[in-house]
Amino acid sequence: MTAVVRRRALNLRRHGWSIGVWLLLAVLIGWYVLLIPRFGSFQIASIIKNSLPLVYLAIGQAVIVITGGIDLGAGAMLVLANSASATLMQDQPFLVTILIGFGIILGAAALNGFVGWIINVSRVPDIVVTLATSFIYSGLALMILPGPGGGTSAGFRILFTGSDDGTGTSFGFSLGMLLVPVVIAAFFMRRSRTGLSLYATGSDLNAAYLSGVDIRRAKVIGYAFGGAMAGLAGLATVAITGSGDPRFSIGANATLNSVAAIVLGGVALTGGIGSVVGAVAAAIIVFFLSPILSAMGIDPNTAQVVQGSLIVVVMMIAGLLALRRRRAK
Amino acid sequence: MTDALLETKAVAKSYGSVVALRSVDLTVQPGEIHALLGANGAGKSTLVKILSGVIAPDSGTISVNGRSVTMRRPPEALKAGLATVYQDPALVPDLTIAQNLTLTAIDEDAVRSRLTAMGLGRLDFDAQIRDLPLEVLRLLDLARALAHDPQLLLLDEITAALPSDQAEHVFGIMQEWKEKGRSVLFITHRLAEVLSLCDQATILRDGRTVAQVEPRQSGERGLVTPMLGEVAAELEAATSRVISQEAPINLATADLYSGGKVNGISFELRAGEILGIAALEGQGQDRLFELLSGDRRPDRGEVIVNGSPLRARSPYDAIRRGVVLVPSDRVLALLPKRSVRENLAIPLYNRVQRWLGLVGDEDTRTNKAIERLSIDTRAHRQVRRLSGGNQQKVVIGRWLANGFRTLLCFDPTRGIDIHTKRQIYDLLKEVADTGASVLVYTSELPEIPLLCDRVLVIYNGRIVHEQDAANATEEVLLSAAHGLEESA
Amino acid sequence: MTVADLPGVRRQAASMRLLADHPLWILGGVLVVLIAITGAIRPSYLSFSGLRNTVLLAAPLGIMAAAQTLLMLTGGIDLSVAMVATGAAYVAGNRSPSGALIAIASGLLVGLIAGATNGIGVGIFQVNPLIMTLAMAAILLGLFTSWAQTIFTGSTTVAPLIKTLGGGSFFGNRVPYNALIWVGVALVVMWLLKRTGLGRITYAIGDNPIAARLSGVRVWQVHLVLYTLAGLLAALAGILIAGRTGAVDLQLASTFLLPSVAAAVIGGTSIFGGVGSYSGTILGALILSVLNSMLTFLNVGQAIQQVVYGLIVLLLAWLYAKVTTER
Repeated sequence: MTAVVRRRALNLRRHGWSIGVWLLLAVLIGWYVLLIPRFGSFQIASIIKNSLPLVYLAIGQAVIVITGGIDLGAGAMLVLANSASATLMQDQPFLVTILIGFGIILGAAALNGFVGWIINVSRVPDIVVTLATSFIYSGLALMILPGPGGGTSAGFRILFTGSDDGTGTSFGFSLGMLLVPVVIAAFFMRRSRTGLSLYATGSDLNAAYLSGVDIRRAKVIGYAFGGAMAGLAGLATVAITGSGDPRFSIGANATLNSVAAIVLGGVALTGGIGSVVGAVAAAIIVFFLSPILSAMGIDPNTAQVVQGSLIVVVMMIAGLLALRRRRAK
Repeated sequence: MTDALLETKAVAKSYGSVVALRSVDLTVQPGEIHALLGANGAGKSTLVKILSGVIAPDSGTISVNGRSVTMRRPPEALKAGLATVYQDPALVPDLTIAQNLTLTAIDEDAVRSRLTAMGLGRLDFDAQIRDLPLEVLRLLDLARALAHDPQLLLLDEITAALPSDQAEHVFGIMQEWKEKGRSVLFITHRLAEVLSLCDQATILRDGRTVAQVEPRQSGERGLVTPMLGEVAAELEAATSRVISQEAPINLATADLYSGGKVNGISFELRAGEILGIAALEGQGQDRLFELLSGDRRPDRGEVIVNGSPLRARSPYDAIRRGVVLVPSDRVLALLPKRSVRENLAIPLYNRVQRWLGLVGDEDTRTNKAIERLSIDTRAHRQVRRLSGGNQQKVVIGRWLANGFRTLLCFDPTRGIDIHTKRQIYDLLKEVADTGASVLVYTSELPEIPLLCDRVLVIYNGRIVHEQDAANATEEVLLSAAHGLEESA
Repeated sequence: MTVADLPGVRRQAASMRLLADHPLWILGGVLVVLIAITGAIRPSYLSFSGLRNTVLLAAPLGIMAAAQTLLMLTGGIDLSVAMVATGAAYVAGNRSPSGALIAIASGLLVGLIAGATNGIGVGIFQVNPLIMTLAMAAILLGLFTSWAQTIFTGSTTVAPLIKTLGGGSFFGNRVPYNALIWVGVALVVMWLLKRTGLGRITYAIGDNPIAARLSGVRVWQVHLVLYTLAGLLAALAGILIAGRTGAVDLQLASTFLLPSVAAAVIGGTSIFGGVGSYSGTILGALILSVLNSMLTFLNVGQAIQQVVYGLIVLLLAWLYAKVTTER
């Protein structure tokens, strides 16, 4: 009996941050419902589908950071996948767009896995290599699609947004597309041996190596998974906007948001700590702040200030908590 | 003739210009408990790394059951039938026990039944490794190694932090393995364990196999002499020093308490005195040094420096009052990528007033420290390329260059060759002769009479024994350190 | 006789060691080769006015990269430099009607405040530098976008003096003024790193923060000072950029962020701290600027420019890691 209580206490401490982030999200949603005059399926659909790209990107970033890396090229990969898919999918029937979608996810995984391999071989720090790939990916995106344009099939848009023009009130498809990757990623990271080997690599390289983990393989898998998620984020973007946009600043912003989201979600930048589920909640929060603040009548610029300040304040509190815990030990 | 279970021939390994193993021959027969002995730096840990597949030897052969094997990764050693339990358990800190077992593809039930036999049946498998004490982790690591059902079990210093009842469990498992006709390679510093448990002992010195003996025949002397070689003679008795009772008290503590680890420690340390502290691992000595060096504030009680209390917010405040620390781990104290001079000079700049510009006599100060310690600075632009002994000299030299009144040394000779050890003893004595105080914790009890004037034994956060160091025998100190006050 | 005893082999090994001991020589070589290639593509580049354009670009980048170098040496990073530079330039533009000196001082004040805030977050509250400065960039962008419509609605062009400093030249239009300022900044930064206690401690906390603390260094003080200094340097760079373009907008310095990190990395400053020098960063900034000119002359378009830029940053970092780890 006491063992069960003890275990619950331990779990609460370990997942406390994650639970806190989900509670914060729930509070924000409740607040939003009170703020706006009409809250219906249109709003729900809009929030879910528009948060998809950042959620995917945050899942990928979380996996890479948990493995002990960081991907500053994630946003650029989103842009590359978005540009490539918008170019290839234009005027294609639904089935072909689906095949192209899978192809792009696989291609993104292979490309980013190759980046992981380069980090292994070159011993150049992750942050430097992915800084360079952020340039390369955005350059490739511009080569494929020199300016905003392209398109996709109606069916492909319905798949992510529930409607063929990206507006609509049905949110079943969006919710599915939110939940399926989250569940797969969470299950992969926590239950599979490969996922655990990623945690092990980020947590303690030496112990992981002695436990028989192939740490180079873990890095490649982590980056490949992150690449696949960034590719998916690019597909979601083409489905939501109905077109591609190769601008560098979109990728840079997306990368910054993904890093902010995972840190807010309790993933430690030192690796090995945190969960995909926490990162997902934080990603929705990071996205969700702007509609809330605009519902409060705050202009988007002030909203950005509030968002940045919130991240700083939360991290300061986390820093103080960590300091106190160390002192008390 | 039956094949040996494990046989290594002329195994050698160098790291750059540093030779770790010159030529190691080791033969372990089936059904024996085999001890691997050697002083610090003799090459035991390198050999363990080679036998567990962490690193590959430069030359030499390893064969298991008569067949030559190459092991380039840890799983290959396991496949060859060798399972290692490391001094620092190979468990991933941020995962739970269950997840660690999944990671290594080991059946939870097998581990559970092993743990039950060791008295740890109630261990929660959902607990995170980070939250568990070291002794539990060692036993867990052992249970995991046993689940591989290895031909040869390598135990690296497994008993170092274990309470005696749990050590008994380990001994039981070693016996069991022997009776199964399998073998154990046992690495320990405790000669008593070797004498009572082991059938054979291989002794390394300076990266070479120097002897293989049967401990029960040879006795303790037969083990120690080859371990130390001719330098054993160099360890002469201490020259006794006289401490004046009128000398000022440089450092004292009054009833210190901290987090259940230090439970009411009071002592006085006079100018010119070298005070030794002896304790088993984990008796609160780490915490005591943190309190004294200003790294942490006590819950209750006071640290008194030169007669007035030290209320330190960071080590800076203690350093300003002349209390300086040489920490346990050189990795903590060194700037590995910087030069010897920069390492020596760093405390000179801990004051904001000195940030613009360099201290005028920096060169004189660092040169003096380098000379006094005879630090080898040739062609070494980064201190990480120095030998362990030279690194330790840099850490001590830093305070010689900066100046101090009380030197706190936490295990200053760990992993250092005997020649440098002597130099460090002489240096600490010189320092004390000039009127400074020295407080030394050492994990090697024979050092106490060689180095110290007086010794305190700490057990469970309290001082349980105090005496003149010159007459402190290892037996007396050990029994006190185990909490058995036998003189009473 | 083994292979290593052969005279040719030995000479080669010795030259490798020489390069490993002086990795900056490689960077110097790369710079010369790049200049030569650019000259081959467009011969007029190898003239005072051709090189002058490269220096005009390199000076603000080099100053911004100085901020990055100081922080990377401590194991930190500043992702807000570009936004701080933009903000400083924007304020300087707005205050230009009150005179150039007041404009410059107000711009630098922006850097001081933003840098000190970063320093407080990183040093005292132990926020990860990546997150702290990332958030700072977002906050500044929001603030200035909204202020651009409320408080700073005035001038968006900068005072003549700032234009001269950022874009003008002397010696018969050969040497840009901003290069002169860069030289001044470089001398100060190199003096700080090599000849002061602050420099010693900067390397120390990047190499081993625990050792620094145990030596009595109060790490938060160092962070506070260095992040503030970085803010000031970024602001100075921003004002110079505004001087070159003549007008300010909120995208002014955004393209400088990644090159500022890349210049320090190419120059051999470790992103983990403790190793590096500003002289390396100077070479890095020059290399990136020449590369920029070369790609412009090649007229290959934005897309290929970015890909080549990324590949070269990666290759140089790889080369540097290879040369310096093999000794």
